Order: sequence, then C-alpha cells, then structure tokens
Amino acid sequence: MTEHVATNETILVVGGGISGMTAALEAAETGKNVVLVEKNPALGGRTSQLYRYFPKLCHPTCGLEINLRRLKGNPRVRVVTLAEVTGIEGSTGNYTASIKVKPRYVNESCTACGDCGRAVETMVDDPFNYNLGQHKAAFLPNAMAYPQRYVLDPAIIGTADADRAKAACKYGAIDLDMKEETIQVKAGAVVWATGWQPYDAAKIQPYGYGRFKNVITSVEFERLADIHGPTGGKILRPSDGKEAKNIAFIQCAGSRDENHLRHCSRICCMASLKQTHYVREKYPEDGKSTIYYIDIRAIDRFEDFYQKVQADPSVSFIKSKVAKVTEDEHGNPVCHGVDTEGYKRYTTPHDLVVLAVGMEPSVKGINIPGHIVADSSGFIEADPANGAVFGAGCASNALDVNRAVQSATAAALRAIQVVNKVAKAEA
Amino acid sequence: MSANTALAEKYRNNFLKEIEEQVEMGDWVKMCMQCGVCSGSCPTNFQSAWEHPPQELFMMIRAGKREEVLTTTSMWNCTSCYNCIVRCPRKLPITHIMHGIAEYAHRIGKAPKMQATRFFSGLFWKNATKTGRVNELKLSMGLYFKDGFAQGVKNGMAMQSVALGLVKAGRLNVMELFGGHKCKDQKGIQAMLKKAYEIERSRKAAKMAG
Amino acid sequence: MADIKVAAYICKGCGLGERLDADALVKIAQKDGKVPLAKSHEFLCNADGVAMIKNDIANEGVTHIMIGACSRRAKTEAFFFPENAVARANLREGVIWIRPDTDEARETTQEMAEDYIRMGCAEVKAMTAPGGNTNTGTSKTLLVVGGGVTGMTTAIEASKTGYPVVLVEKTGALGGWAAKLYKRVPVHEPFKSPADTGVGDLVAQVLGDSNIKLYLNATVAKTDGAPGRFIVDIATESGATHTEDIGAIVQASGFTLYDMNKLPELGGGKSPNVVDQAGLEALAKAAAAGDGVIRRPSDNQPVKSVVFVQCAGQRDPSGTHLAYCSGVCCNTSIKQAMYFKDANPSVDTTIIYTDLRTPGNGEDFYRSAQEKGVIFTKGKVAQVVPNGATSTVKFHDLILDDTDAAVADVDLVVLATGQVANSGIDIFAAPKTEEEEAAVEVKPISILNLTYRQGKDVPQLKQGFTDSHFICFPYETRRTGIYTAGPVRRPMDIAQAREDATGAALKAIQALENAELGRAAHPRSGDLSFPKVRLEGCTQCKRCTVECPFGAIDEDEKRFPVFNESRCRRCGTCMGACPVRVISFENYSVNTVGAQIKAVDIPDEFSEKPRILILACENDAYPALDMAGMSRNEYSAYVRIIPIRCLGSVNTIWITDALNAGYDGVMLMGCKSGDEYQCHFVKGSELGRVRMSKIDDTLKTLNLESERVRDLEVAITDIERVPEMINKYAAELVAVGPSPFKGF
Repeated sequence: MTEHVATNETILVVGGGISGMTAALEAAETGKNVVLVEKNPALGGRTSQLYRYFPKLCHPTCGLEINLRRLKGNPRVRVVTLAEVTGIEGSTGNYTASIKVKPRYVNESCTACGDCGRAVETMVDDPFNYNLGQHKAAFLPNAMAYPQRYVLDPAIIGTADADRAKAACKYGAIDLDMKEETIQVKAGAVVWATGWQPYDAAKIQPYGYGRFKNVITSVEFERLADIHGPTGGKILRPSDGKEAKNIAFIQCAGSRDENHLRHCSRICCMASLKQTHYVREKYPEDGKSTIYYIDIRAIDRFEDFYQKVQADPSVSFIKSKVAKVTEDEHGNPVCHGVDTEGYKRYTTPHDLVVLAVGMEPSVKGINIPGHIVADSSGFIEADPANGAVFGAGCASNALDVNRAVQSATAAALRAIQVVNKVAKAEA
Repeated sequence: MSANTALAEKYRNNFLKEIEEQVEMGDWVKMCMQCGVCSGSCPTNFQSAWEHPPQELFMMIRAGKREEVLTTTSMWNCTSCYNCIVRCPRKLPITHIMHGIAEYAHRIGKAPKMQATRFFSGLFWKNATKTGRVNELKLSMGLYFKDGFAQGVKNGMAMQSVALGLVKAGRLNVMELFGGHKCKDQKGIQAMLKKAYEIERSRKAAKMAG
Repeated sequence: MADIKVAAYICKGCGLGERLDADALVKIAQKDGKVPLAKSHEFLCNADGVAMIKNDIANEGVTHIMIGACSRRAKTEAFFFPENAVARANLREGVIWIRPDTDEARETTQEMAEDYIRMGCAEVKAMTAPGGNTNTGTSKTLLVVGGGVTGMTTAIEASKTGYPVVLVEKTGALGGWAAKLYKRVPVHEPFKSPADTGVGDLVAQVLGDSNIKLYLNATVAKTDGAPGRFIVDIATESGATHTEDIGAIVQASGFTLYDMNKLPELGGGKSPNVVDQAGLEALAKAAAAGDGVIRRPSDNQPVKSVVFVQCAGQRDPSGTHLAYCSGVCCNTSIKQAMYFKDANPSVDTTIIYTDLRTPGNGEDFYRSAQEKGVIFTKGKVAQVVPNGATSTVKFHDLILDDTDAAVADVDLVVLATGQVANSGIDIFAAPKTEEEEAAVEVKPISILNLTYRQGKDVPQLKQGFTDSHFICFPYETRRTGIYTAGPVRRPMDIAQAREDATGAALKAIQALENAELGRAAHPRSGDLSFPKVRLEGCTQCKRCTVECPFGAIDEDEKRFPVFNESRCRRCGTCMGACPVRVISFENYSVNTVGAQIKAVDIPDEFSEKPRILILACENDAYPALDMAGMSRNEYSAYVRIIPIRCLGSVNTIWITDALNAGYDGVMLMGCKSGDEYQCHFVKGSELGRVRMSKIDDTLKTLNLESERVRDLEVAITDIERVPEMINKYAAELVAVGPSPFKGF
C-alpha cells in the first residue's frame, strides 16, 4: 500500500488473484518488500468471481476480505493495478521488469462515493460478470474492489460522458489526462501467478455455445448464482429470463480432449457438483441437475462431497460425454448422446446447459517474458532454467484454490530464498 | 471350448491382441476411455441400428467377447461420415476400426451372411469388378431379391415409379439386364485386381510376421 | 496509564455534509464524547484532511483518534496511524447509505450518526495503541518431525532460506515411504514413464547440510513452550534425551497404507499373490535388482498377468473402511502397471476402476499407459478369490453391465489401498470406555507430546488428517507455529508433498519471525495486541483454558491460566468466556465494547424509537452490512452496530448491560458454526453460540422475553438478507413491546 522503492531484494509478484495475493502477503508477512502487479483494476482474480467454494460452500469473498485486511495493514506490499508485465530482463537476484500501466483516469483522491457513476450515461459490458450484464462506464469494478476506487472505461474518454464524470466529482479524483505508461521495477525474484482462463467454449462447436443462448459456461453460472451478479443471484436463463430449474452440466468441456486441452483441469467435476447445490438452494422444490461425465474426479477428501451429492435425489449422473446440443422450439437446449453404462441413448431437453469448461493458463508458457520452461499446455514447470522466476497457482498447474494457495506459499519461499541470498551478499 | 477356457479368456488380452494384429487400425482399440461421444455423435443414432455402439464394441473386445463382436451387425451400419473421428477426445480412427472389424469378421466367415451392407458390398464388388463398370440395374435387382423372390417382387414394385422415371429420363436402360456395358480393357482390370490382391496378401502376411 | 488526548474528526464529504448536521456531530463529540479536540472537514481523507490529523498528532499531542467518516474498511491508506489508537464511526456505509434521503428520515438518520460519534469517542478512550508483547522467544530453529520426502524437503528449503533445522526421524534411515518406491509418477513433460524417485538426492542434501541437525531412531518426547520459545526433548534409541530450543515446528509424519488384511473379500492376507501397492513396489525393486522380471511371491514364477483393484478399502460409504479417496492410487497403479509393460509388453495388465482420477498432466500418463497396452476396465470389484498360485477377480463390468464379469488365472493382484494419516492422538475424540479402549488394536502414539493443556497433538480435522478447514488458508493449524505438511495433512503424492513441505517451511519461518516481534499469526496477522489477564480477579474457572480454539492457554499448578502470547491468535474467545471479565486486549476489551453500548442515547419508552444492538463479526457480517450500504439496501435506523473480532469474543455482560440500559433487542451476527464452520477462529462462533444459548436464564432473571436476543448466522454475501433480517426483527420487537428498562 505504500510506495517503497523496489530493489533487488524486492519480490515481484505478477497477478493479483488468490495465488498472487497469497504469495505477496506471505512474503510480506515474513518481512520482505513486494510489488504486486495486477492486470485488472482490482485485486481478487477469478476466485472473487465465484459464488461459493467447494467443498465447504463458503464464499470466496470471505477469504478475500481477510486477505485484503492483511494487505491494508501491511506497508510492505505495493500494489500496481491495470498493469501488465511486458518484459523481464536480468538474472537471478537482479531482474528489471517492464510494466505497462493503463490509465485508470481516477486518482487516489477517489472516495468511491459513486457520484461519477451516477453522472455517466454510457453502459459498457461488465467483465466481472463475464459480460452477462452491463455497468456504467464509470464504475467500481466490484463490491469488494481493492483499491476501492472507481475506473473510467476508455470508451468514454474524449466524450461528453467523461466530462460529466469529471464535473460530478467533488474531490478532483478524475484525471482525464492520464496516459498509459511503462515503469521499470527492480526485483530479486519473480513469482508468476497469472492464473487461468476458461477454455473458449465456442471452439467446442457441437455444444452450441455462442449459438444457443441457454448454453453457458460454468464460470458464467457462478455469476448467475451470485447476489452481486447480473441476475441478483437468481438462476434465470439468458434467452427469456425464465427460471432455469432443470440444468445439465457437461463435464470435460475442453478438458481431457486432444482436440482441445490435453490435460484434465481437475476442478470442473467438483465445481459442477458444487453448482448442483446452487440449483437446490435456489429451487428447493423442483430444481433438477444432471451431470454428464466421463469420470467423476472428486479427488481425495472431496469424495465426501461427491457422496453427498450422489445421495441427493434431485441430481442424476450419466456417464457420457455429450455428443451434441441442439435447441428445441421452446428454446430449450437438448443434450444428445449415449449413456455408456449399459448403452442407453438419450435425447434430453433441459432449461439450461452449463459447460464445465477447462482451465488453461492465462498467459501460456511461450508468452511469458523471459525464457520460461513450460509444459505442452503452457503451465510453468519447476525448472532450474527459469532462474528466479517461480510459477505459482494455476500458472503452474490446473489446481483448485486450496492447492493454488499452497503452491503460492511455496513459491513465496523460493523467492525469499533468492532475496535473502542477495541481502546476505550485500551485507 | 470348455467353460473354463472360455472364462480364462475373458478380460484377458487374447481377443484384443487378435484384433490388434488382424484388424486395420485395431491397435487403437486400447486407447478408448469409454466416454461414448462416438456412439452419441453417430448420425445413424437409433438404438436398433447399433446393437453395440463403437465404444461398447471396444469394451467387448477387451472383455474377450469374440463371438458377439464378430457376429454382430453393428459395425456394418457405419456410413463413414467421420463424425466420431472428429469428436473422439483420444483421436481414435473409429470409422476405420469399424470397417476393419467388419472386414475381419467377413474374412474369417463370422459376419452375418444376409446383413444388408455386407451383402450389398459383396454384390457391388462382384458387379463392378466383373466388367469394370457398375451395372446399376443388376445391382438393384440383386439387392431387391436378397431375401427371396416374393420379397424381391415387392421391393421392385415399391420402386416402380422411380424406375420408370429413370427410364424416361434415359438414365436406366432395361437392356442392361442382358449383358450391359463394359470398360474398354476388361482383361487389364482383372490383372490389376489380381495384383492388388497379391499386394494385400503379402502386406497382411508381413504384418502377421511382425 | 499514560496521558491520552482524544481528537474527533467529522468528515463532510461523500454527502455526509448534506445528509447530516456535521456541526451538531462536532458538538456531540465535545459534549457527550467529552473529547478536547473536535473538528469537521470537507474531505477528510484527502491530503489536506490527513495532514490536519497528522499535525494534531505532532503539535497538539493527540494520541487517540476518532474518525467519523466512512467504514473502517474504506480509505485505510489515508487513515493509517499505526502509532495511535484509532476508532472509526461509520457514518457513510453505516448511516447515510442505508437510510432514505427523505425529510421524514432525517431525524432518525441524524440520531444514528450522533450515536455512532458517541460510540466512537467512548471506544477510542477505552483503547490504547498496542505496545507489543515482551514475552517473546527468539529461537530461529525449525523442528521437523519426520524424515520422509516431506520432512527432508522442509528441512532443505528452510536451511536454504537461512534457518537452522533439527530433523527427527523415528526409524534408522531417511527416506520414508518414498524410499520404498522403485520409481515415482513423472512430473515433467512428456509425462509418459515412471521417473526416478529423487530420494537419494534429498538424503544426500540433508546429510551434507551442516545447518540440519539430524536425529535418527528418535522421537519427540516432549514439546513445551510456544512459537519462538519451544523447548523440545528428543528421545533417542539409546535412551538419551536431547533438549533443543525451537522456534517453530513442521510435523511431517506421513501416512501408513490402509491394512489390506481388513479386506479379506479382496484376498487381502489370503494369498501371498495378493499384495498392496507397497508390496508391488518391493517386488519391482527386487526385480530391478535381479533380472528385471517381476515374480509371483508364492513360487517365484514370472508374473504373466496382473490385475490392479482400485479404491480397495476406499470411497466406502458404509463406514467400514476409508470413506475418502486417497487421490494418488490411480496414478500409482498406472505407474506400477508400466513396471510390467516396460519390461515385457506381453504381460496382461488390467486396472479395474470406477472413476479414473488422473488430474492435470496425469491424463498424459493415463494415455501413455493405454499406448503401452495397459487395459482399463470400468468396474467394481466384488471379490478376489485366490486359488493355488493364481486368483480370480470377480467384478461388475459397469460398461457392459455384466455383474458376473471375472478375470481368471491372474498371477498377481494389487490392491490399491489408501493413505491413513500418522497424526498421533486424536485429542478431541470422545473418551473411550475401558472396553472400547481394550478393543483398539494399535494404540495411537503421540507425535509431538505437547505439554499443552488441551492435549498432546495437533487437532485433527476429519478422517484423521490434520488439515486446515480453510480453503483459502491451507496452512491454518489450530496450534500456532506448528504446521503439518505432506500426507498427514491430506492424502497426497510426492509432487504435492514437496510443494506442501516448501509452503509449510515458509509458514514456520514466518511464525518464528513474528513470534519474536510479538505479532499475531493469521487471521489477524500483524496484530500487536495480546490478551492481558488480571489474575487477582481470576476464579480459576478454567473456561478460557478449555475454550481457546488454539490451545494457547495452559494452567499453572494453582489452576490459574498461563497465557502463551505467541500461541494466541487474538480472537478474544477467552475474553468472551471469562465470567469475571479479567481478560482484555489493549485495543479490544470488555470495556471498549461495553463503553460503546453504554454511550448510545436510549430514548424513553414513549418516543417509539426502539434501540437494537448488533454485534457483528468483523470479517463477514460487518462487510456484508457495509456492502448492503454500498448497494443502498436500506435498514432500520434503530440499530447500532458494533464490529467484534469474533462471536466467540462476546461476553454476556455486553448483552446484560445492553438490556439493562434499555435496548429493546440484541442481534448477534456470526459465521456459520458446526461441521462446515466458516468461523476463521475455528470454534469461535460455535463457542459464542453455546454461551449465548444460555442467555435465556439471564433474560429470565431480568424478566425479559427470549426474543430480546437473536443469534444469527450471517455470511459475507448476505447483502440483501441482512437488511431483511434487521427490518424483520425490528418489526417483531414492536410486537414484543418496549424494554421495561428504559429510563432507568
């Protein structure tokens, strides 16, 4: 939160999701200075866009609140948002990173009072809600946003709307002259925690994502269930706003498939099992979930959770990779395929189809600045050739939150080892 | 085969090995992970067409169900649309495996004799290789009368209007029934086919020898 | 107590100036809050406002600051005064944003703001800025218990970071489970074949590191003290005891394979040719040492066929065997099947599974096994029948739906049994009767032998594992400065254990560093306050020592509590539990909250303005209330909200004080408790609830209705539900009628 000067005893953490925040905080709470770089205007990453976690069904924002409080009270972490690392030069113990910082058009004087948002008329897609809804072009990224500061969408810069926003702000917080800049940050070690992105479901052509409105992805479904989401927490289907009570979950949408992602994304089975709970929660009387799967990968102690869902009469399991989805005359998506346990064909209409999309690294190995060794899916491997650039969380593997945090904690120690060595050499 | 040996072979790799050795692309069978997308994507997706869909056949092969696999009509239903190949997450060449199993079943005399596709294929091959040209009239008649004279007449009657239409349009010559047209070098065709059979035999022998 | 000077600052920004009478608030601060310095400012969080406060600190001798502006969760950078006691009156999210901007509402809204100013002034006066704990230890040495891959990795990583390590291993050699393996599952591209275990390299690193002190054939006989100042007795085989000063501990005691003899229906213990995964590793090692051929144990004949039975004694919902999946056995069986196939492709290898679980790049490993000819059959094994040198495996083929499927004449059957954590004594297990005690075959032996009042080992979470219950915080054990890592924490493979070990090393290092500085560990990391106890008033009731969720409090020989500050997480459960209220924190005490409760102006019973006290968990309920404000979800102007560290810290005196003062009702908002608890102090909300369940007696003695106190479970997402609950409760209280205590 302060502007400490980065040196080669500083740890640069790239990515402000749960892995990056963890790495930054764990290092800072061990007494190290950290620069935390986040691409979006607020920290929190993809987990902050989830409604609940498996297997506890608790809310990710609860952990985020704790992490933000840790951050607010810790002067050792310097947070840079709207920023992307474009280059890393140097070697272990002595790196210089180039960081491109996009203009926010709002400075530190912002009190998040919301006057600019009320003054602006333009609506833009809301990426926090995976563009399922829109928000004003002067906006607070989300209710938990840190920094708790508004952002102006570049689309309104140079328009009357921007002037309206500026005029509405009593605190001189809006600065329309901000420009993109590139800053250089020194660091002894780098933790690369840029996380994951959902596999582009439109590439799985037979499932009709992008053609049928009522075929959505698992991450979008999280937003539908969330009170902060576009429907205020109601599970309504996109085509007609009808309550979606009979929901199909299609597993391995992209994962375990040589035509798409070779690897298993690990989290999707548990995520769908969890999402059946949302259906039950919102429609206790007549909610119905069907999971189409190849293998249910409720790994280790998550088995409990699977057994509980199995015991729920509102959830059925069909061992089958769905062959295709069509749409009937009522706009219902229809799943076609074969239940391979005993060969039964099905043609089943649902209110909504949720594709359990796979996880791929947000920044693929080959696109990480510096020569980073990665596996064929683009996840960073632990390799001495990477020097003091350490992969953490889902940049290093398809991981659930718990394992991502564990990985980030380990990465923080590896980074500390490097800067401790630098400190010792300099002492 | 005694009951004991039958049991002993179940779920052992004997039949799988036989398929791997004898069937074109048969060594892909082991790669199936039973997701069922092949069975579901098949456009001939009516239960009756496929007594055992592809992924189930693969499991049956692994389970050593030799008789059931080789005598089923299932794989004969494949229309080579390649949907299954496109969709298979393990990239199994399912279409080719289906044809391979069918061909093998036929080769060792296990294939159901009167299965329509098999019958048609045989008819077509004979018809085409005899003169080097396909005699469509003979081919249709052969197929219509597959299940006996009475059924043949019935089939013919059912297609009457189509046939008349074709005759009118000059697309069907009734005289074809007596002889019909040939290619210019009928002997050359036969020699070519003979050579092809030889190559095929030596390739298979080589494969068997490992 | 040193001289204090309190200043109150009222912000007029963000609409506060328009919606509220700021001058009146300043006067309230002076008159009711009795602060010598009270000011309002147009825009308090900007550079000018902050400079004004800093100037007052520097030149006016201000020590205590009351800020009447936005929520304590907002503008934390601006209002960052770590040297001072600071209270925040939440006038924005907590008042003007949850009230309608109407003329009718103006009066009650102003009253709300005035009360928050009174409360803020009262609170800050009762606080002192935490001065830090002096009872700290300075040991920088890590104790690692267990010399397997996890323990060795922890030791090596800690040493690399510059910390000395004491490594204690029960057996005569390092390596643990991994040393028994022939090979491991691959962790690098192309993920196709078993890889070297790497154990030899780790052992060499440990042995070659002068920073790591190794005790073999040794166990921990006694662990006394607290982070930064543990004193650990290490008993060696010779009978000698060595005492080490330790800063923090990593327990890496690993796992034991589930005993296959408990699975006679799967042939466990019935034939030498039915082995578990460890048995197969031994056969593979023996083969590698010889001609490379894995042989049948009964007659040394080469194995021509092998069947792997997945989930043997696992994923069992009946409760007889393990209920969980161990997560590693699918990959292990694949690896073991490759031992056969790589040596001789003609060996029949079949893996019978129900769900094949090979996450991440394990999928490539699975694929590679298929390429090598390993056959995967989805089925449920019912029975393994050994018959002479071979066995028949009977199973239900789930694809062909054949309940009578079987593989006969199998040379070797491998049962994939699961991992059972070596977690020592279950300190919270219900006490056993003598008969039950006698029936237990193997009595658990303590791993750490803690001298803690609450028991000898780290509490277990579920199914014997000592895992954290928190998804976001996998390293949260309930014993500060003691971290568990590897399969004792959760079932895991070598790759994950090594990551886990590295993470645990960091947490342990962090714990000992923070212990020296007197700073709290998660979740109040960095907090310098710590519990102080006035022993003169203590009645030795032991509630604090029993209830502390972190086992921080021991008892001396006279049964007085002994606080170990560096074990403390600052949740305040002890403070809530104490019936004589002798426990407090500098910045959070019975008084800081009590003074706020008393500061509220209670209108008389004829005004028809009830007052409801809300004690809200600062981590979940309070942010939910804040975000309700941000969403402009209105709620009653009659509530007065006080954030609390945890429901566990709520002392019943607050409730009785409030009711005596004439509040009409009290709402307690805490996190979910029970098995799926969400309380970040583990048992805090549960203990708080147990305490509050007895409040009925108090209400009876006061002759009050039970509706006057409401205990509620609130999550951070309840931004709509919380206002609804408040409004509903306010309406219900109207029906109950005003408190009879008003005006006394």
